Amino acid sequence: MPADAPPPTTRLARLRAAARRLLGMPDYAAYVAHCRAHHPGRPVPDERAYFAEWVRARYGDGPTRCC
Amino acid sequence: MPRLLLVAVALAGAAGWGAIALHRGETISAAWLVLAAVGTYLVAYQVYGRFLATRVLGLDDRRATPAERLGNGRDFVPTTRWVLFGHHFAAIAGAGPLVGPVLCAQFGWLPGTLWIVFGVVFAGAVQDFVILFGSMRRDGRSLGRMAKEELGPLTGLLTMVAILAIMVILLAVLALVVVNALRDSPWGVFTLLCTIPIALLMGFWMKVWRPGATFEASAVGVVLLLAALVAGRWVAESPVWGPALTLDGETLAYAVIAYGFVASVLPVWMLLCPRDYLSTFMKIGTIVLLAAGILLVRPAIQLPAVTRFTDGSGPVFAGRLFPFAFITIACGAISGFHALVASGTTPKMVRREGDARLIGYGGMLMESFVAIMALCAAAALDPGVYFAINAPAAILGGTVESAAEVVRGWGFTLTPDTMRQLAADVGEGSLLSRTGGAPSLAVGMAQIFSGAFGRGMTALWYHFAIMFEALFILTTVDTGTRVGRFMFQELAGHLWAPLGRTSWYPGAVLASAMVVGGWGWFLVQGVRDPLGGINSLWPLFGISNQLLAAIALCVGTTFLVKGGKVKYAWVTLAPLAWVLTVTLTAGWQKIFAADPRLGFLAHAGQVAAQVASGALPAATGARLVFNDRLDALVAGAFLVVTVLVVAASAREWVLVARGRKAPRVTETPFTETAYAG
Repeated sequence: MPADAPPPTTRLARLRAAARRLLGMPDYAAYVAHCRAHHPGRPVPDERAYFAEWVRARYGDGPTRCC
Repeated sequence: MPRLLLVAVALAGAAGWGAIALHRGETISAAWLVLAAVGTYLVAYQVYGRFLATRVLGLDDRRATPAERLGNGRDFVPTTRWVLFGHHFAAIAGAGPLVGPVLCAQFGWLPGTLWIVFGVVFAGAVQDFVILFGSMRRDGRSLGRMAKEELGPLTGLLTMVAILAIMVILLAVLALVVVNALRDSPWGVFTLLCTIPIALLMGFWMKVWRPGATFEASAVGVVLLLAALVAGRWVAESPVWGPALTLDGETLAYAVIAYGFVASVLPVWMLLCPRDYLSTFMKIGTIVLLAAGILLVRPAIQLPAVTRFTDGSGPVFAGRLFPFAFITIACGAISGFHALVASGTTPKMVRREGDARLIGYGGMLMESFVAIMALCAAAALDPGVYFAINAPAAILGGTVESAAEVVRGWGFTLTPDTMRQLAADVGEGSLLSRTGGAPSLAVGMAQIFSGAFGRGMTALWYHFAIMFEALFILTTVDTGTRVGRFMFQELAGHLWAPLGRTSWYPGAVLASAMVVGGWGWFLVQGVRDPLGGINSLWPLFGISNQLLAAIALCVGTTFLVKGGKVKYAWVTLAPLAWVLTVTLTAGWQKIFAADPRLGFLAHAGQVAAQVASGALPAATGARLVFNDRLDALVAGAFLVVTVLVVAASAREWVLVARGRKAPRVTETPFTETAYAG
């Protein structure tokens, strides 16, 4: 399994991570972990740039909510 | 699921259907409906869902999903299946499955129940599953893009135009539901107004004060929202604020339009994201609460199984049981809009191919369950009360006395005092002719909640239900306007390139204004409509949504035909045939029916005659005639686009099936997963 993010250690942390994904919230910490694991040597975008890209991906690409 | 358990579930479902079939008394408990529905869902998921997954689509856990191959920690993120199930469910289930079944209850509880349960199993869940699968095999591409690649650029363009037009109608009708629910309701208006500063506060909290503390901010948001709900009563009873927040329909409509415009040009972190989180929390929480309430209270269904209005004379909306029951309930049975979500964020998050059955097929079954609960809540109302809330003022007259008279004429019992008492119980001035479904659902939910979780709080529960519906409708208005803006800009970019740049501010403002102007226009006309607007707009929405389903099923059938699965093409062709039959019939009737209550053109003729005889001022008449003709044109355009897409698809299928065209599979080539077994 590719190491996307360090697996949350405590039960509470796991629950929080699951709740974030459920709501579709961006997770910068996980993103940084992903970048370090997959693209070593490339600079990691800062949180602002990450958030802007996430917004484009989430809301800019077709309807995300139904009736 | 072990085989023995499956048999037990099947027997429980059969017991539910048996109770429904054999009941001859006055009322039946809602518990039987829920049992029949849930039993059917579980068996369908295990049997038909598995058949689709293994035989028809051939899900392969060894094949890496886009989330794995393209994982970027942002939108392509492998996600645990139950979490993604919740996320997908929250994205597809909005006001649609709550409102449609409530309106359709004018035919009685049986037609809606049958369509919701069997429609989802054989049509809606199949559509969602097949499109999710197709998008997952194509790097998470959108429906429009897949239509273009599978069926050619013209069909792709038609699909995009259809999606934009459908969004406009959808946003108008949902905004109308909110306006009708908040009309002359200071309590409701206050609570909903409070959601704006609460969302702004959450936005600043997450962005500026405590970056990343989304969970904490959302929790504070929910608490503040509940405080606003409680304070609403005090505001409504205040001699100053009460009258100030008692707004008529048109004022509310313009307020919603202004809100939609501002929300779509503000940065998303300020208003849109926090609202999205807030409404997701509220949605999942309230649906769980409603399920618990129905199981605890087991309300008796008061509505007849089938009413006299199946002949098309119903006051809630015009038209006979066939085809109008099947377009009034779209979400919950089959909803074309889901194809957009199933080819949007969800396919980029699926961790393993095998999870798609739970998320695509199962997620839609869950929405169907929400629709059944909404139907139970409405059908548990006294039928006289149900019709007094849902029939427009033009039919009931303006007073409780006249309404009671009219409702008794239909063969139901209703006294003026019942309506007065009910309005007082829920803390509203009047509940007469509150069309749109939301108020009657809120009354039904308030009865269930106060029965289950404490009596004497009916007014609070009523406004909680209204707030819950309005909150996520406005979230849809936010996101829908923004998405419509992006789609408009993409289309307009073909004409003049700068318009296509989403970051160019004047372009963004212009595109937002066009989208808001589009749905706002239909909204204002709906508010002014003497028949309440829902009567003409909801069928238009149903038709457009089902036609989008037809387009999605065409794309799905093309996947199967080109993928060498012609012998299984019936799984999408059968629902396609049904959806087309229903929708083309309904569209034709809405345009050409001779009954002025039903046909747009006949209504235009009737208005023209009234103007000629002097019964109606010429200016009002001209406006109504224009609206009717525009509605007819919109319905006609939907029909034409769909027929074109179906014809183009059918041609492609025949060419491939006869071997004249090579079945070119557009799927991304197989890559083996790196996940351990």
